Amino acid sequence: MNNISRRDALRVGGLSVFGAAFLAACGKQSGVVESSNILSEGVVPPTTALPAGIVTDVVLLRTAASLEYNAIDTYNAVLEGGLLTGDYAKLTDAVKRFRDDHQAHADAVNQLVVASGGKAHTCANSRIDTLYIQPALELITAKDNPDMSKDIVALAHALENLATQTYQGVVASLTSPSLRGDAIRVAQDEARHAVVLAQVLNGGYASVGPTTNEATGKPNIASVPSAYGSLSSVLLQVGTPNADGVKAALTLETPSLNGLIYDFVDCQ
Amino acid sequence: MTTAQARLPRSTPPAQPTDADKQLLLFSQGVELAARDLYKKALESAKYSDDEVAMLTMFGEHHNTYAQAMNGLIGKVATNMRNDSLYSTHVGQLASAQSAYAALQALENTVAATNTDILGQLRGLDAARILASIITTEARMAAVFGTLPALSLTSALNSSANSLAPTIAQAPEATTETSVSE
Repeated sequence: MNNISRRDALRVGGLSVFGAAFLAACGKQSGVVESSNILSEGVVPPTTALPAGIVTDVVLLRTAASLEYNAIDTYNAVLEGGLLTGDYAKLTDAVKRFRDDHQAHADAVNQLVVASGGKAHTCANSRIDTLYIQPALELITAKDNPDMSKDIVALAHALENLATQTYQGVVASLTSPSLRGDAIRVAQDEARHAVVLAQVLNGGYASVGPTTNEATGKPNIASVPSAYGSLSSVLLQVGTPNADGVKAALTLETPSLNGLIYDFVDCQ
Repeated sequence: MTTAQARLPRSTPPAQPTDADKQLLLFSQGVELAARDLYKKALESAKYSDDEVAMLTMFGEHHNTYAQAMNGLIGKVATNMRNDSLYSTHVGQLASAQSAYAALQALENTVAATNTDILGQLRGLDAARILASIITTEARMAAVFGTLPALSLTSALNSSANSLAPTIAQAPEATTETSVSE
């Protein structure tokens, strides 16, 4: 049991009153003009708030267009860098076809953007580029990576799946039924690209449906991985294997609110 | 009002299928059931390897799953009757594996085109969301027949299939705008 004497109680009470008075003195004082410079050195520069980002059909379509340019840029990097070697060099024509398809998609989507009252977006999504594509390319093109070309195909497969999911995902957000139809038309093309690449990575009838890698317990690449098109994240494993033979894993996700191409976002 | 605000939708699409949506989804259900039956017939009509049987069985089951999903969306409107016209178009082409693969690819392309056309008419978001996830898988199944047994890029990527979907007019949209009296 705690015994508090009358003297102790008065001492604590006195300290409380003093503390309250001290804190009040540190606070706002009457008659003193407020200044943003108090307790700081130099002048605080004024800040400009970002415009409000409102998600509209136009924003969703501009975002989709930006992903097309991510794919175009990646395929151009593959072709110009000669990153497909050995047997994988046979895929050069396919890569050119995929790139041209993405350019056609970008043009078509931007036409929809303009028809909906927006401004065409003709460059890649910088967030997708910074978060996923550049780190992946860095891992893939490392000098000691023995599987560079195969990893390039894996990156392309992941990007095609990401594009498919982006279009499939925006269907639930687009307000215009005809735009939903247009979006899923493009999604089908991306899904077909993904199947071609999936067959390169894990070919044959037995690999069409979902299977599991017995060594790692992770799902193998599949041409038709599930009955319904997935919207979950896309796993990409690329680069120089570590001592256990495991490659670095990147988890790709469709653009979220901070990756959308709002009306105020321009190509740099 | 900013430009962006001006582009905001004036009404939110309904979640549930409208009456017109249900008629469209009923058509889609018939198409899916025809596809299911064609896969069943293909497996009975020609010889395939075990891996091929597994793949064709899976594709047929996917279409059956889609038909059941339509049941959930349209409830009492569902008839669970296959589209006989689509079935008749392809059933005579299943005698050999080679001709069956060409027929089944044409079937997948047609079903995907039909569902895409239907999606472009749907007003209800629940059905649109499900149909979108079905269409991307049907495109994948069509592409598989272009990659196996040997890759043909043109066959895998190109589809000139026509939609079979009817055009069904939606009832006029109820306005959700409110006016404030001054």
